[in-house]
Amino acid sequence: MKKKIMLKDLAYARSGDKGDIVNIGVMAFSPENYQLLKKKLTPEKIKEHFGSDVKGDVVIYKMPNLNSLEIVMNGALGGGATRTLALDQTGKAKGQSLLYMEIDAD
Amino acid sequence: MKTVKIGSGSASWGDMMEPGIDLIEQGDIQYLGLDHLAELTLSILQRWKAKDPKKGYIPDVIPFMKGLLPPARKHGTKILCNSGGANPEAAGEVVAQIAKEFGMEGLKIGIVLGDDLLPRLKEFKDQGVKFENMETGEEDIDRVADRIVAANAYIGAESIIEALEAGADVVITGRASDNALYVGPLMHEFGWKFEEPYWDKIGAAVTIGHIIECGACSSGSMSSQWRKVDDPGNVRNPMAEVDENAAAIISKIDGPGGLVNSGTVKEHLVYEVHDPYNYLMPDGIADFASAKLEDIAPNKVRVTEIKGKPRPEKLKVCMGYREGFIGEGQVWFPGPDAFEKAQWAEKWARRRLEIMNAQYDELRIDYMGVNILHGNTVPFPPPYAKDMYECGLRFVVRTKTYEEADRLKRIPTWLWTHGPVGSACGQPLPVRPVIGLWPTLIPRELVPTRMVIKEVK
Repeated sequence: MKKKIMLKDLAYARSGDKGDIVNIGVMAFSPENYQLLKKKLTPEKIKEHFGSDVKGDVVIYKMPNLNSLEIVMNGALGGGATRTLALDQTGKAKGQSLLYMEIDAD
Repeated sequence: MKTVKIGSGSASWGDMMEPGIDLIEQGDIQYLGLDHLAELTLSILQRWKAKDPKKGYIPDVIPFMKGLLPPARKHGTKILCNSGGANPEAAGEVVAQIAKEFGMEGLKIGIVLGDDLLPRLKEFKDQGVKFENMETGEEDIDRVADRIVAANAYIGAESIIEALEAGADVVITGRASDNALYVGPLMHEFGWKFEEPYWDKIGAAVTIGHIIECGACSSGSMSSQWRKVDDPGNVRNPMAEVDENAAAIISKIDGPGGLVNSGTVKEHLVYEVHDPYNYLMPDGIADFASAKLEDIAPNKVRVTEIKGKPRPEKLKVCMGYREGFIGEGQVWFPGPDAFEKAQWAEKWARRRLEIMNAQYDELRIDYMGVNILHGNTVPFPPPYAKDMYECGLRFVVRTKTYEEADRLKRIPTWLWTHGPVGSACGQPLPVRPVIGLWPTLIPRELVPTRMVIKEVK
Protein backbone atom coordinates (compact mmCIF):
# COMPACT_ATOMS: atom_id res chain seq x y z
CA MET A 1 0.00 0.00 0.00
CA LYS A 2 1.21 3.50 -0.84
CA LYS A 3 2.23 5.74 2.02
CA LYS A 4 -0.27 8.53 2.60
CA ILE A 5 0.43 11.94 4.06
CA MET A 6 -1.94 14.60 5.28
CA LEU A 7 -1.73 18.12 3.85
CA LYS A 8 -1.47 19.60 7.33
CA ASP A 9 1.94 17.96 7.62
CA LEU A 10 3.13 19.63 4.42
CA ALA A 11 1.66 23.14 4.35
CA TYR A 12 -0.30 25.93 5.94
CA ALA A 13 -3.53 27.16 4.39
CA ARG A 14 -5.61 30.32 4.55
CA SER A 15 -8.88 30.82 2.72
CA GLY A 16 -11.30 33.63 1.96
CA ASP A 17 -14.13 34.67 -0.33
CA LYS A 18 -15.26 36.92 -3.15
CA GLY A 19 -18.85 36.44 -4.17
CA ASP A 20 -19.56 32.72 -4.54
CA ILE A 21 -15.86 31.92 -4.93
CA VAL A 22 -13.66 30.55 -2.16
CA ASN A 23 -9.92 30.71 -2.63
CA ILE A 24 -7.42 28.72 -0.61
CA GLY A 25 -3.77 29.68 -0.45
CA VAL A 26 -1.75 26.55 0.30
CA MET A 27 1.73 27.45 1.57
CA ALA A 28 4.21 24.59 1.57
CA PHE A 29 6.67 24.35 4.46
CA SER A 30 9.58 23.67 2.04
CA PRO A 31 10.44 23.69 -1.67
CA GLU A 32 10.31 19.86 -1.59
CA ASN A 33 6.78 19.94 -0.17
CA TYR A 34 5.83 22.48 -2.82
CA GLN A 35 7.03 20.16 -5.59
CA LEU A 36 4.98 17.31 -4.12
CA LEU A 37 1.86 19.45 -3.70
CA LYS A 38 2.21 20.89 -7.18
CA LYS A 39 2.14 17.37 -8.55
CA LYS A 40 -0.55 15.87 -6.33
CA LEU A 41 -3.07 18.63 -5.82
CA THR A 42 -5.27 18.64 -8.89
CA PRO A 43 -8.66 20.28 -9.47
CA GLU A 44 -10.18 16.78 -9.58
CA LYS A 45 -8.73 15.86 -6.16
CA ILE A 46 -9.96 19.13 -4.67
CA LYS A 47 -13.48 18.64 -6.04
CA GLU A 48 -13.53 15.09 -4.75
CA HIS A 49 -12.49 16.29 -1.26
CA PHE A 50 -15.22 18.92 -0.97
CA GLY A 51 -17.95 16.94 -2.72
CA SER A 52 -21.21 18.84 -3.20
CA ASP A 53 -19.90 21.79 -1.13
CA VAL A 54 -18.01 22.96 -4.25
CA LYS A 55 -20.36 23.13 -7.20
CA GLY A 56 -18.24 24.85 -9.85
CA ASP A 57 -14.84 24.55 -11.48
CA VAL A 58 -11.59 24.54 -9.55
CA VAL A 59 -8.55 26.37 -10.90
CA ILE A 60 -5.06 26.09 -9.39
CA TYR A 61 -2.37 28.77 -9.84
CA LYS A 62 1.27 28.06 -9.01
CA MET A 63 3.33 30.60 -7.06
CA PRO A 64 6.90 29.23 -6.96
CA ASN A 65 8.18 32.47 -5.38
CA LEU A 66 6.16 31.69 -2.25
CA ASN A 67 6.24 27.86 -2.52
CA SER A 68 2.49 28.22 -2.64
CA LEU A 69 -0.56 27.24 -4.64
CA GLU A 70 -3.63 29.40 -5.05
CA ILE A 71 -6.72 27.22 -5.33
CA VAL A 72 -9.78 28.99 -6.67
CA MET A 73 -13.08 27.18 -6.16
CA ASN A 74 -16.16 28.46 -7.97
CA GLY A 75 -19.65 27.93 -6.62
CA ALA A 76 -18.19 27.13 -3.21
CA LEU A 77 -20.11 29.43 -0.88
CA GLY A 78 -23.79 28.63 -1.26
CA GLY A 79 -24.35 31.69 -3.42
CA GLY A 80 -21.90 33.97 -1.59
CA ALA A 81 -21.36 35.38 1.88
CA THR A 82 -24.54 37.44 1.86
CA ARG A 83 -26.93 34.64 0.97
CA THR A 84 -25.34 31.41 2.14
CA LEU A 85 -27.02 29.48 4.92
CA ALA A 86 -23.66 28.22 6.14
CA LEU A 87 -22.30 29.59 9.41
CA ASP A 88 -18.90 30.00 7.74
CA GLN A 89 -20.16 32.81 5.57
CA THR A 90 -16.77 33.79 4.19
CA GLY A 91 -15.20 30.39 3.62
CA LYS A 92 -12.52 30.90 6.26
CA ALA A 93 -12.77 27.27 7.41
CA LYS A 94 -12.46 25.76 3.93
CA GLY A 95 -8.66 26.06 3.94
CA GLN A 96 -8.51 24.14 7.20
CA SER A 97 -10.86 21.48 5.79
CA LEU A 98 -8.40 21.00 2.94
CA LEU A 99 -5.55 20.35 5.39
CA TYR A 100 -7.21 17.03 6.27
CA MET A 101 -6.80 15.81 2.69
CA GLU A 102 -4.51 12.84 2.24
CA ILE A 103 -2.19 12.46 -0.73
CA ASP A 104 0.30 9.81 -1.82
CA ALA A 105 3.65 10.62 -0.24
CA ASP A 106 5.75 9.77 -3.32
CA MET B 1 16.57 57.80 -0.52
CA LYS B 2 13.11 59.12 0.29
CA THR B 3 10.85 56.71 2.14
CA VAL B 4 7.21 56.90 3.15
CA LYS B 5 5.68 55.02 6.05
CA ILE B 6 2.06 53.92 5.88
CA GLY B 7 0.06 51.86 8.37
CA SER B 8 -3.29 50.13 8.65
CA GLY B 9 -5.78 51.09 11.35
CA SER B 10 -8.80 48.94 10.53
CA ALA B 11 -9.63 45.89 8.45
CA SER B 12 -13.40 46.05 8.60
CA TRP B 13 -16.41 47.65 10.20
CA GLY B 14 -16.24 46.78 13.89
CA ASP B 15 -12.47 46.37 14.04
CA MET B 16 -10.63 47.72 17.08
CA MET B 17 -9.15 51.19 17.24
CA GLU B 18 -6.19 50.92 19.63
CA PRO B 19 -3.70 49.30 17.19
CA GLY B 20 -4.10 52.32 14.89
CA ILE B 21 -3.48 54.75 17.75
CA ASP B 22 -0.36 52.77 18.68
CA LEU B 23 0.91 52.99 15.09
CA ILE B 24 0.47 56.78 15.07
CA GLU B 25 2.10 57.23 18.48
CA GLN B 26 4.91 54.69 18.22
CA GLY B 27 5.22 53.74 14.56
CA ASP B 28 6.28 57.09 13.12
CA ILE B 29 3.82 56.62 10.23
CA GLN B 30 2.84 59.47 7.90
CA TYR B 31 -0.41 57.88 6.72
CA LEU B 32 -2.97 55.62 8.38
CA GLY B 33 -5.59 53.81 6.27
CA LEU B 34 -8.90 52.58 7.66
CA ASP B 35 -10.96 50.05 5.72
CA HIS B 36 -14.54 49.82 6.91
CA LEU B 37 -16.35 48.28 3.94
CA ALA B 38 -17.13 44.77 2.73
CA GLU B 39 -19.20 43.57 -0.24
CA LEU B 40 -22.44 43.65 1.73
CA THR B 41 -21.85 46.89 3.66
CA LEU B 42 -23.08 49.37 1.07
CA SER B 43 -26.46 47.62 0.91
CA ILE B 44 -26.89 48.11 4.65
CA LEU B 45 -25.71 51.72 4.54
CA GLN B 46 -27.94 52.65 1.59
CA ARG B 47 -30.96 51.43 3.57
CA TRP B 48 -29.95 53.67 6.46
CA LYS B 49 -29.48 56.62 4.13
CA ALA B 50 -32.92 56.03 2.59
CA LYS B 51 -34.42 56.35 6.07
CA ASP B 52 -32.32 59.37 7.06
CA PRO B 53 -30.37 61.39 4.47
CA LYS B 54 -27.87 62.39 7.16
CA LYS B 55 -26.91 58.74 7.75
CA GLY B 56 -25.45 56.06 5.52
CA TYR B 57 -21.82 56.25 6.65
CA ILE B 58 -20.06 53.83 9.01
CA PRO B 59 -21.02 54.95 12.54
CA ASP B 60 -17.64 53.71 13.82
CA VAL B 61 -16.11 56.74 12.12
CA ILE B 62 -17.22 58.77 15.16
CA PRO B 63 -15.33 56.85 17.89
CA PHE B 64 -12.42 56.27 15.51
CA MET B 65 -11.98 59.95 14.72
CA LYS B 66 -12.41 60.89 18.36
CA GLY B 67 -9.62 58.46 19.20
CA LEU B 68 -7.34 59.00 16.21
CA LEU B 69 -7.54 62.70 15.42
CA PRO B 70 -5.74 64.00 18.52
CA PRO B 71 -2.64 61.76 18.14
CA ALA B 72 -2.73 62.18 14.34
CA ARG B 73 -2.75 65.96 14.70
CA LYS B 74 0.12 65.79 17.18
CA HIS B 75 2.30 63.54 15.01
CA GLY B 76 1.30 64.97 11.63
CA THR B 77 -0.26 61.68 10.48
CA LYS B 78 -2.84 61.84 7.73
CA ILE B 79 -5.85 59.53 7.92
CA LEU B 80 -7.56 57.94 4.91
CA CYS B 81 -10.78 55.98 5.29
CA ASN B 82 -13.63 54.61 3.22
CA SER B 83 -15.98 55.01 6.19
CA GLY B 84 -18.08 57.44 4.14
CA GLY B 85 -19.87 54.37 2.78
CA ALA B 86 -23.10 55.45 1.09
CA ASN B 87 -22.76 59.03 2.31
CA PRO B 88 -19.21 60.43 2.35
CA GLU B 89 -20.49 64.01 2.57
CA ALA B 90 -22.43 63.30 5.77
CA ALA B 91 -19.39 61.52 7.19
CA GLY B 92 -17.31 64.60 6.31
CA GLU B 93 -19.77 66.80 8.22
CA VAL B 94 -19.58 64.60 11.28
CA VAL B 95 -15.78 64.44 11.22
CA ALA B 96 -15.58 68.22 10.77
CA GLN B 97 -17.80 68.62 13.81
CA ILE B 98 -15.57 66.33 15.88
CA ALA B 99 -12.46 68.24 14.73
CA LYS B 100 -14.15 71.50 15.63
CA GLU B 101 -14.92 70.24 19.11
CA PHE B 102 -11.23 69.40 19.47
CA GLY B 103 -10.38 72.95 18.39
CA MET B 104 -8.59 71.79 15.24
CA GLU B 105 -9.16 74.92 13.17
CA GLY B 106 -7.68 74.67 9.70
CA LEU B 107 -7.92 70.88 9.53
CA LYS B 108 -8.72 69.92 5.95
CA ILE B 109 -11.04 67.04 5.13
CA GLY B 110 -11.01 65.71 1.58
CA ILE B 111 -14.27 64.05 0.56
CA VAL B 112 -14.18 61.75 -2.46
CA LEU B 113 -17.37 61.30 -4.50
CA GLY B 114 -18.50 59.51 -7.63
CA ASP B 115 -18.60 55.81 -6.70
CA ASP B 116 -22.34 55.71 -5.98
CA LEU B 117 -24.07 54.58 -9.19
CA LEU B 118 -27.50 53.95 -7.68
CA PRO B 119 -28.89 57.35 -8.75
CA ARG B 120 -27.45 56.81 -12.26
CA LEU B 121 -28.84 53.36 -13.13
CA LYS B 122 -31.68 54.78 -15.21
CA GLU B 123 -29.26 57.00 -17.09
CA PHE B 124 -27.10 53.93 -17.86
CA LYS B 125 -30.14 51.95 -19.03
CA ASP B 126 -31.17 54.80 -21.34
CA GLN B 127 -27.64 54.81 -22.76
CA GLY B 128 -27.83 51.07 -23.36
CA VAL B 129 -25.10 50.21 -20.85
CA LYS B 130 -25.41 46.54 -19.88
CA PHE B 131 -24.26 45.05 -16.60
CA GLU B 132 -23.37 41.43 -17.25
CA ASN B 133 -23.09 39.36 -14.09
CA MET B 134 -19.42 38.34 -13.80
CA GLU B 135 -20.27 35.16 -11.93
CA THR B 136 -23.34 33.82 -13.68
CA GLY B 137 -22.90 35.36 -17.13
CA GLU B 138 -26.44 36.74 -17.06
CA GLU B 139 -26.50 39.57 -19.61
CA ASP B 140 -28.14 42.41 -17.73
CA ILE B 141 -29.78 43.38 -14.45
CA ASP B 142 -33.40 43.35 -15.74
CA ARG B 143 -34.42 40.39 -13.54
CA VAL B 144 -33.39 42.18 -10.34
CA ALA B 145 -33.58 45.83 -11.43
CA ASP B 146 -36.56 46.72 -9.23
CA ARG B 147 -34.90 45.16 -6.17
CA ILE B 148 -31.48 46.84 -6.34
CA VAL B 149 -30.57 48.62 -3.10
CA ALA B 150 -26.93 49.54 -3.78
CA ALA B 151 -24.66 49.93 -6.81
CA ASN B 152 -21.15 51.14 -6.20
CA ALA B 153 -18.07 51.20 -8.39
CA TYR B 154 -14.78 50.27 -6.74
CA ILE B 155 -12.96 53.49 -7.47
CA GLY B 156 -9.22 53.99 -7.39
CA ALA B 157 -6.84 56.54 -5.93
CA GLU B 158 -7.16 59.42 -8.41
CA SER B 159 -9.35 61.68 -6.30
CA ILE B 160 -7.57 60.58 -3.11
CA ILE B 161 -4.33 61.87 -4.67
CA GLU B 162 -6.08 65.13 -5.62
CA ALA B 163 -7.27 65.54 -2.04
CA LEU B 164 -3.76 64.97 -0.68
CA GLU B 165 -2.37 67.45 -3.22
CA ALA B 166 -4.90 69.96 -1.93
CA GLY B 167 -3.49 69.47 1.56
CA ALA B 168 -6.13 67.18 3.06
CA ASP B 169 -5.32 65.92 6.57
CA VAL B 170 -8.19 63.45 6.47
CA VAL B 171 -9.58 61.79 3.34
CA ILE B 172 -13.03 60.21 3.44
CA THR B 173 -14.30 58.09 0.57
CA GLY B 174 -17.25 55.88 -0.22
CA ARG B 175 -16.55 52.65 -2.06
CA ALA B 176 -12.93 53.33 -2.87
CA SER B 177 -11.12 50.02 -3.02
CA ASP B 178 -9.44 49.29 0.33
CA ASN B 179 -6.27 49.19 -1.69
CA ALA B 180 -6.57 52.76 -3.00
CA LEU B 181 -6.30 54.08 0.56
CA TYR B 182 -2.67 52.91 0.48
CA VAL B 183 -1.82 53.35 -3.21
CA GLY B 184 -3.01 56.98 -3.04
CA PRO B 185 -0.49 58.28 -0.48
CA LEU B 186 2.41 56.41 -2.14
CA MET B 187 1.61 57.82 -5.60
CA HIS B 188 1.14 61.28 -4.12
CA GLU B 189 4.43 61.23 -2.20
CA PHE B 190 6.55 59.78 -5.01
CA GLY B 191 4.82 61.54 -7.90
CA TRP B 192 3.97 58.29 -9.68
CA LYS B 193 1.48 58.71 -12.54
CA PHE B 194 -0.98 56.33 -14.17
CA GLU B 195 1.31 55.82 -17.18
CA GLU B 196 4.63 54.30 -18.25
CA PRO B 197 7.16 53.87 -16.66
CA TYR B 198 5.26 53.67 -13.36
CA TRP B 199 3.21 50.48 -13.75
CA ASP B 200 5.71 48.27 -11.91
CA LYS B 201 5.82 50.77 -9.05
CA ILE B 202 2.04 50.99 -8.94
CA GLY B 203 1.92 47.18 -9.06
CA ALA B 204 4.20 47.21 -6.03
CA ALA B 205 2.00 49.79 -4.30
CA VAL B 206 -1.05 47.61 -4.98
CA THR B 207 0.79 44.63 -3.50
CA ILE B 208 1.99 46.54 -0.43
CA GLY B 209 -1.53 47.88 0.02
CA HIS B 210 -2.90 44.35 -0.19
CA ILE B 211 -0.40 43.14 2.43
CA ILE B 212 -1.41 45.72 5.04
CA GLU B 213 -5.02 46.61 4.15
CA CYS B 214 -6.58 43.87 6.29
CA GLY B 215 -4.90 45.21 9.40
CA ALA B 216 -3.42 42.63 11.71
CA CYS B 217 -4.19 39.78 9.30
CA SER B 218 -0.61 40.13 8.03
CA SER B 219 0.86 40.74 11.48
CA GLY B 220 -0.19 37.74 13.51
CA SER B 221 -3.98 37.69 13.46
CA MET B 222 -5.78 34.85 11.66
CA SER B 223 -2.37 33.24 11.33
CA SER B 224 -1.32 29.63 10.90
CA GLN B 225 1.55 30.64 13.19
CA TRP B 226 -0.84 31.61 16.00
CA ARG B 227 1.19 29.64 18.53
CA LYS B 228 4.16 31.95 17.92
CA VAL B 229 2.19 35.13 18.63
CA ASP B 230 3.24 36.22 22.10
CA ASP B 231 0.90 38.32 24.27
CA PRO B 232 -2.38 37.25 22.60
CA GLY B 233 -4.98 40.00 22.71
CA ASN B 234 -2.35 42.72 22.41
CA VAL B 235 -2.99 43.16 18.69
CA ARG B 236 -0.39 44.93 16.56
CA ASN B 237 -1.21 46.21 13.10
CA PRO B 238 1.24 46.23 10.20
CA MET B 239 3.03 49.18 8.66
CA ALA B 240 5.11 49.48 5.50
CA GLU B 241 8.11 51.70 4.90
CA VAL B 242 8.28 52.17 1.14
CA ASP B 243 11.13 53.72 -0.84
CA GLU B 244 11.02 55.51 -4.17
CA ASN B 245 11.94 52.28 -5.99
CA ALA B 246 8.79 50.74 -4.48
CA ALA B 247 10.71 48.34 -2.25
CA ALA B 248 9.01 47.96 1.11
CA ILE B 249 9.78 46.83 4.63
CA ILE B 250 6.73 45.43 6.40
CA SER B 251 6.90 45.62 10.19
CA LYS B 252 5.00 46.31 13.40
CA ILE B 253 5.83 48.49 16.39
CA ASP B 254 8.45 47.09 18.77
CA GLY B 255 7.52 45.19 21.88
CA PRO B 256 5.19 42.29 22.66
CA GLY B 257 2.12 41.35 20.62
CA GLY B 258 1.66 40.58 16.96
CA LEU B 259 4.06 38.81 14.61
CA VAL B 260 5.57 39.81 11.28
CA ASN B 261 7.69 37.40 9.26
CA SER B 262 7.80 36.16 5.69
CA GLY B 263 5.19 33.58 6.69
CA THR B 264 2.63 36.09 7.93
CA VAL B 265 3.22 38.29 4.88
CA LYS B 266 2.93 35.26 2.61
CA GLU B 267 -0.36 34.16 4.14
CA HIS B 268 -1.79 37.54 3.33
CA LEU B 269 -0.38 37.57 -0.19
CA VAL B 270 -2.38 34.43 -0.95
CA TYR B 271 -5.51 35.68 0.85
CA GLU B 272 -8.65 36.55 -1.13
CA VAL B 273 -6.73 36.44 -4.40
CA HIS B 274 -7.82 34.67 -7.55
CA ASP B 275 -5.23 34.83 -10.34
CA PRO B 276 -2.12 35.92 -8.39
CA TYR B 277 -0.35 36.83 -11.64
CA ASN B 278 -3.03 39.42 -12.33
CA TYR B 279 -4.34 40.92 -9.11
CA LEU B 280 -6.78 43.47 -10.50
CA MET B 281 -7.26 46.72 -8.67
CA PRO B 282 -8.64 49.99 -10.03
CA ASP B 283 -5.17 51.57 -9.91
CA GLY B 284 -3.12 48.81 -11.48
CA ILE B 285 -2.56 45.09 -11.92
CA ALA B 286 -0.06 43.43 -9.62
CA ASP B 287 1.84 40.21 -10.13
CA PHE B 288 2.08 38.64 -6.69
CA ALA B 289 4.05 35.74 -8.14
CA SER B 290 6.93 38.15 -8.80
CA ALA B 291 7.27 39.33 -5.19
CA LYS B 292 10.43 38.45 -3.31
CA LEU B 293 10.14 38.21 0.50
CA GLU B 294 13.13 38.32 2.84
CA ASP B 295 13.25 38.18 6.63
CA ILE B 296 15.80 40.92 7.35
CA ALA B 297 15.33 41.24 11.13
CA PRO B 298 12.84 40.06 13.76
CA ASN B 299 9.40 41.36 12.72
CA LYS B 300 10.79 42.98 9.55
CA VAL B 301 10.20 41.62 6.05
CA ARG B 302 11.57 43.19 2.89
CA VAL B 303 9.30 42.93 -0.17
CA THR B 304 10.88 43.65 -3.57
CA GLU B 305 10.91 42.90 -7.31
CA ILE B 306 7.18 43.26 -7.82
CA LYS B 307 5.93 43.61 -11.38
CA GLY B 308 2.83 45.47 -12.49
CA LYS B 309 0.70 46.13 -15.55
CA PRO B 310 -1.49 49.07 -16.63
CA ARG B 311 -4.72 49.54 -14.73
CA PRO B 312 -7.83 47.81 -16.14
CA GLU B 313 -10.06 49.67 -18.59
CA LYS B 314 -13.12 48.69 -16.60
CA LEU B 315 -14.00 49.14 -12.95
CA LYS B 316 -15.70 46.52 -10.85
CA VAL B 317 -19.19 47.39 -9.69
CA CYS B 318 -20.94 45.62 -6.86
CA MET B 319 -24.71 45.80 -6.85
CA GLY B 320 -26.80 44.48 -4.02
CA TYR B 321 -30.43 43.44 -4.44
CA ARG B 322 -33.13 42.20 -2.09
CA GLU B 323 -33.36 38.44 -2.25
CA GLY B 324 -35.65 37.24 0.51
CA PHE B 325 -35.03 36.51 4.17
CA ILE B 326 -33.17 34.13 6.44
CA GLY B 327 -34.66 32.64 9.58
CA GLU B 328 -32.26 30.86 11.87
CA GLY B 329 -32.13 29.22 15.27
CA GLN B 330 -30.27 26.66 17.32
CA VAL B 331 -30.72 24.19 20.10
CA TRP B 332 -28.14 22.29 22.17
CA PHE B 333 -28.39 18.85 23.73
CA PRO B 334 -26.36 17.45 26.63
CA GLY B 335 -25.22 13.86 26.86
CA PRO B 336 -25.91 11.08 27.64
CA ASP B 337 -26.65 10.42 23.97
CA ALA B 338 -26.18 14.04 22.85
CA PHE B 339 -25.67 13.22 19.16
CA GLU B 340 -28.60 10.82 19.05
CA LYS B 341 -30.81 13.46 20.68
CA ALA B 342 -29.78 15.96 18.02
CA GLN B 343 -30.64 13.45 15.29
CA TRP B 344 -34.08 12.91 16.83
CA ALA B 345 -34.52 16.70 16.91
CA GLU B 346 -33.67 16.94 13.23
CA LYS B 347 -36.36 14.40 12.47
CA TRP B 348 -38.79 16.48 14.60
CA ALA B 349 -37.89 19.67 12.71
CA ARG B 350 -38.37 18.10 9.29
CA ARG B 351 -41.72 16.63 10.27
CA ARG B 352 -42.79 20.02 11.62
CA LEU B 353 -41.88 21.65 8.29
CA GLU B 354 -44.28 19.22 6.58
CA ILE B 355 -47.08 19.82 9.06
CA MET B 356 -46.68 23.59 8.68
CA ASN B 357 -46.68 23.35 4.88
CA ALA B 358 -43.49 25.41 5.00
CA GLN B 359 -42.56 27.50 1.97
CA TYR B 360 -38.81 27.94 1.66
CA ASP B 361 -36.17 28.13 -1.06
CA GLU B 362 -33.37 26.52 0.90
CA LEU B 363 -32.97 24.64 4.18
CA ARG B 364 -29.80 23.78 6.05
CA ILE B 365 -29.40 21.75 9.21
CA ASP B 366 -25.94 21.53 10.77
CA TYR B 367 -24.66 19.57 13.74
CA MET B 368 -22.62 21.90 15.89
CA GLY B 369 -19.40 20.32 17.00
CA VAL B 370 -19.58 17.91 14.04
CA ASN B 371 -19.98 19.43 10.60
CA ILE B 372 -20.92 23.08 10.95
CA LEU B 373 -17.54 24.22 9.61
CA HIS B 374 -16.18 21.22 7.72
CA GLY B 375 -19.41 20.42 5.88
CA ASN B 376 -19.23 17.39 3.62
CA THR B 377 -15.51 16.85 4.12
CA VAL B 378 -16.00 15.05 7.44
CA PRO B 379 -17.70 11.69 8.05
CA PHE B 380 -21.31 11.79 9.16
CA PRO B 381 -22.34 10.44 11.60
CA PRO B 382 -18.95 11.06 13.19
CA PRO B 383 -17.00 8.04 14.48
CA TYR B 384 -17.03 9.65 17.96
CA ALA B 385 -20.83 10.16 17.96
CA LYS B 386 -21.46 7.97 21.01
CA ASP B 387 -18.78 9.77 23.04
CA MET B 388 -20.09 13.30 22.54
CA TYR B 389 -20.85 15.06 25.81
CA GLU B 390 -22.87 17.71 23.99
CA CYS B 391 -24.11 18.43 20.51
CA GLY B 392 -25.99 21.31 18.95
CA LEU B 393 -28.36 21.57 16.02
CA ARG B 394 -28.42 24.66 13.82
CA PHE B 395 -31.46 25.22 11.63
CA VAL B 396 -31.54 27.83 8.85
CA VAL B 397 -34.06 28.57 6.09
CA ARG B 398 -34.15 31.07 3.27
CA THR B 399 -37.61 32.26 2.32
CA LYS B 400 -39.22 34.76 -0.04
CA THR B 401 -41.09 36.64 2.68
CA TYR B 402 -40.27 38.00 6.11
CA GLU B 403 -43.39 36.42 7.56
CA GLU B 404 -42.45 32.90 6.46
CA ALA B 405 -38.90 33.26 7.81
CA ASP B 406 -40.34 34.48 11.11
CA ARG B 407 -42.75 31.53 11.23
CA LEU B 408 -40.15 28.85 10.43
CA LYS B 409 -37.38 30.12 12.66
CA ARG B 410 -39.60 29.16 15.59
CA ILE B 411 -39.02 25.47 14.83
CA PRO B 412 -35.61 25.31 16.59
CA THR B 413 -36.98 27.40 19.47
CA TRP B 414 -39.89 24.99 19.90
CA LEU B 415 -37.28 22.29 20.26
CA TRP B 416 -36.06 24.06 23.39
CA THR B 417 -39.08 22.58 25.14
CA HIS B 418 -40.37 19.91 22.74
CA GLY B 419 -37.08 18.15 21.97
CA PRO B 420 -35.40 15.35 23.91
CA VAL B 421 -34.72 15.96 27.59
CA GLY B 422 -32.16 18.49 28.77
CA SER B 423 -32.09 20.87 25.83
CA ALA B 424 -30.48 24.25 26.30
CA CYS B 425 -31.03 27.35 24.30
CA GLY B 426 -29.74 30.85 23.98
CA GLN B 427 -31.61 33.79 22.59
CA PRO B 428 -33.87 33.68 19.54
CA LEU B 429 -32.16 35.30 16.53
CA PRO B 430 -33.93 38.01 14.51
CA VAL B 431 -34.96 37.35 10.89
CA ARG B 432 -32.42 38.95 8.57
CA PRO B 433 -32.86 40.21 5.02
CA VAL B 434 -30.80 38.56 2.29
CA ILE B 435 -28.91 40.73 -0.13
CA GLY B 436 -27.93 39.08 -3.38
CA LEU B 437 -24.79 40.48 -5.00
CA TRP B 438 -24.45 41.25 -8.67
CA PRO B 439 -20.78 41.72 -9.51
CA THR B 440 -20.28 43.46 -12.83
CA LEU B 441 -17.98 45.83 -14.75
CA ILE B 442 -18.33 49.35 -16.08
CA PRO B 443 -16.09 51.33 -18.44
CA ARG B 444 -13.86 53.57 -16.33
CA GLU B 445 -14.78 56.71 -18.27
CA LEU B 446 -18.41 56.39 -17.14
CA VAL B 447 -17.39 56.80 -13.51
CA PRO B 448 -15.69 60.16 -13.07
CA THR B 449 -14.72 60.86 -9.47
CA ARG B 450 -14.16 64.18 -7.77
CA MET B 451 -13.18 65.51 -4.40
CA VAL B 452 -14.18 68.46 -2.29
CA ILE B 453 -12.19 69.97 0.55
CA LYS B 454 -13.94 70.91 3.75
CA GLU B 455 -11.89 73.08 6.08
CA VAL B 456 -12.63 73.21 9.78
CA LYS B 457 -13.32 76.82 10.76
